[in-house]
Amino acid sequence: MSRAAPLPAPVAALATGIRPLLLLGVIFIALWPAMASSAYELRIFTLVGIYALMALGYQFIFGHAGALSLTQGTFFGVGAYVTAILATKYGLGAHLTLPLAAAMPVLLAALIAAPVLRLESHYFALATLGIGQVMLLTAIAWEPFTGGSNGIAGIPGVVLFGITIPKGMGIAVFAWGAVACAALLSWRITRGLYGAALQVARENPIAALSLGIDTARLRLVCFLLSAAYAGLAGALFAHTIRVVSPETLEFPVMVATLTIAVVGGRTHIAGAILGAWLIINLPEWFRGLDKYYLIAYGSALLLTIIVAPYGLIGLLEKWRARWFPETAPPPPAPLALPAQPTRMTGDGKALLTVAGMVKSFGGVKAVDGVSLTVNRGEVVGLIGPNGSGKTTLINMITGIYRADAGQVNLAGVDITRAASHDIAASGIARTFQNINLVDEMTVLDNVAVARYRHAGGGFLASFRGGFSDPAWRLARGQAMHLLQALGVDDCAERAAGDLAYGLKRRVEIARALALEPRLLLLDEPAAGLNETEQADLAERLRDFARAGLAILVIEHNMPFLMPLAERMVCLDHGEVIAAGTPAEIRANPQVIEAYLGAPEDAGA
Amino acid sequence: MLSQILLNALALGASYALVALGFVVILNATGAVNFTHGDMVMAGGYVALAVTSATSLPGVAVLALVIVAMALVGFVFSGLAYFPLKSRPPVSIFISTIALGIIFQNSANALFGAEPRKGPALFTDGLITLGDITVPRQALAIIGVAALLILLQHLLLSRTSLGRKLRATAQDREMAAAIGLPVNAMIALTFAMGAALAGAAGMMLSNTFFVTPTDGSNYIVKAYIAVTIGGWGSLAGAVCGALLIALFEVLFPSLPLLIPPLKTFAPWLFTQTASAILLYIGLLAIMFFRPQGLFGETVQRRV
Repeated sequence: MSRAAPLPAPVAALATGIRPLLLLGVIFIALWPAMASSAYELRIFTLVGIYALMALGYQFIFGHAGALSLTQGTFFGVGAYVTAILATKYGLGAHLTLPLAAAMPVLLAALIAAPVLRLESHYFALATLGIGQVMLLTAIAWEPFTGGSNGIAGIPGVVLFGITIPKGMGIAVFAWGAVACAALLSWRITRGLYGAALQVARENPIAALSLGIDTARLRLVCFLLSAAYAGLAGALFAHTIRVVSPETLEFPVMVATLTIAVVGGRTHIAGAILGAWLIINLPEWFRGLDKYYLIAYGSALLLTIIVAPYGLIGLLEKWRARWFPETAPPPPAPLALPAQPTRMTGDGKALLTVAGMVKSFGGVKAVDGVSLTVNRGEVVGLIGPNGSGKTTLINMITGIYRADAGQVNLAGVDITRAASHDIAASGIARTFQNINLVDEMTVLDNVAVARYRHAGGGFLASFRGGFSDPAWRLARGQAMHLLQALGVDDCAERAAGDLAYGLKRRVEIARALALEPRLLLLDEPAAGLNETEQADLAERLRDFARAGLAILVIEHNMPFLMPLAERMVCLDHGEVIAAGTPAEIRANPQVIEAYLGAPEDAGA
Repeated sequence: MLSQILLNALALGASYALVALGFVVILNATGAVNFTHGDMVMAGGYVALAVTSATSLPGVAVLALVIVAMALVGFVFSGLAYFPLKSRPPVSIFISTIALGIIFQNSANALFGAEPRKGPALFTDGLITLGDITVPRQALAIIGVAALLILLQHLLLSRTSLGRKLRATAQDREMAAAIGLPVNAMIALTFAMGAALAGAAGMMLSNTFFVTPTDGSNYIVKAYIAVTIGGWGSLAGAVCGALLIALFEVLFPSLPLLIPPLKTFAPWLFTQTASAILLYIGLLAIMFFRPQGLFGETVQRRV
């Protein structure tokens, strides 16, 4: 199917997926205030905007970072209180209350981030819940400042540099203007390389670290963004409702936000708006149910999480893809990676030096004093029976595990204590024994995201370019080139999870090469490959080594490894029991014993 | 004075221990946090109220009915909140239980109203004099009944073949299924057990502290804190954690009574509110410095 005259990119983009439907939604929102017949309806319209703003922020930490934060309602309440106090006690205008109300929750988020953000899922949820309780109790107890359980009344409307935004229509348009700006910001941040990095960091943090992506930093950025959005929403709330009480800090506000994000969609901008529209209007529609309406609300949440895990917008997208399938856009043209000055041809100098590595798990020494070196342009095989410590060693080299003792040097730089993502960025790329691709992402995107550091990815970088992110376009082109180099370019647009095992292994190698590494660590690359594929892979690896890449291969498959490796190291019970050329290793009696067991047990 | 305070703390801690124990058995069996657990405690209080107002049964018989009714609730609950989502990430179950919590709370509100209600006593109200201290009968009854339930729970898990099956399921679901255990039935049973423990605690707490529909969030946080202090997944740790929380909650605000100079030193510090804030700050400190809990061992995540 070829089109006669291709539409301009933005127009074509607006015609894909469920976007025509979303455009209708935007028109609906724009016409809503004109249809609203009373001040009450306009206030509901404004409230929908305020909650949409808060949910847009919540999508960063809950959707994009994948952390169940229960503190979004607290950030909202803090924003509302800051506004109330500044406006009533100090008489500040909205041009000051709005930024300060956004800044205070960000400050609070930054303060609690250090102890809280590194916690695992349910601990994170509990910790954020605890912080919410502390703030609520403080607001009730600190009466002179917060008005205690009565709160603060008499908050003025929005006054910007002396100009008063009128009540009703004025504030409604103002709030929705803020929603539009916030939505635009969310879209810019997540549309390209940064959004892809967020997805990998969320779906597979270990893989993200191995690609040089600082997952903790991404999480922090998301947390701060969510706080800023919530603070701003709280400020608008205070200026609209004119009263702030401890209720704004209570758990129902948080539950409403969570419900909006779950029902609408966790990462879809339209989801936050649709969700807010539904959840705020639900009590109006179910007014006939009286006090039972909250039961309906809980049931709606339960039902959505069961039948539409990606929210209503996700469900719409699924239906659209099923009933009106679209042809995927053609993959980007391959772009060669820049010439790599670091990849000198094999000069025999040690690139990686590992000395005296030790790691215990609960008293069992998995690795016990291992030392080895890998030179530039050299393929070294690392062998040993299962459980001999091979993968643990790689995990220590790449910073996934902290070594109990020992030192790792890369080209003379001590990287023993370096963070995992920094180790990846300094030139060590790896693949995983159990394959760590993001199943839902396409093969191309899986590889392209590994260009994060080299393509200059980052929060601020996401503001570059126009409709599409230039760094992401470049990364995808380069990823295409790497897929070709590994012979897997024909499945570029398929979801990685749908690939056969052998193809996945190659995609992982392509992804590792996207880091432009000096050293490649391969954990059982030949597992699951047939003999032709093995020969093909060995040939490609030899080519990379000839170009100066150092490769350390963990492998049990000796027919694959013996002709490939120049040197081999054999581990057993966490110790090096032999090292030498493949021929020496093959003849070594200790190696044979380790693999086959002692033929005659000499006794303990 | 001190012995009086300690006895009160023990009675509160015994109820908290039942709450935390119910929370942790479900956590172990499913790996999922049951956010409705606090609301199950609240529900236990209301079931006790409803049974008492409908019949004139003695407290102990009401307790037995509450346990049975809440076990049934737990069964049904697992079918709504857990089984439809069991192959999804744990956070889905967290959210589904939040949703059910909303349903629980608002059903209670619709059925019983928002004003605090006093639940039935286990035995008769009144005081007993033991040496130089006077204690409410209810406090002693709570301690006795909670200890008995915890002991029964312990014996069930450690001495019976059903307990072995439950523990096997909690430890490794796939392995348990592979050796032919009815894993789903075991998990549903665990939910029933957790809900029953929460219900029993709810009845006892509803007499001393009354019950309102929004009580749940307080109890779930207490259970959560107890489990965090005691080490994620540890039954004994959860009981110890619950006792520690109760001791702190009761002892801290009464410190000025024990040490009179404190009265003038910082009166704002020894309030209920300040002690609640301190409890959360203490919790955050524990999570920061000892994320494995006060009694737990370090667990390294495998790649």
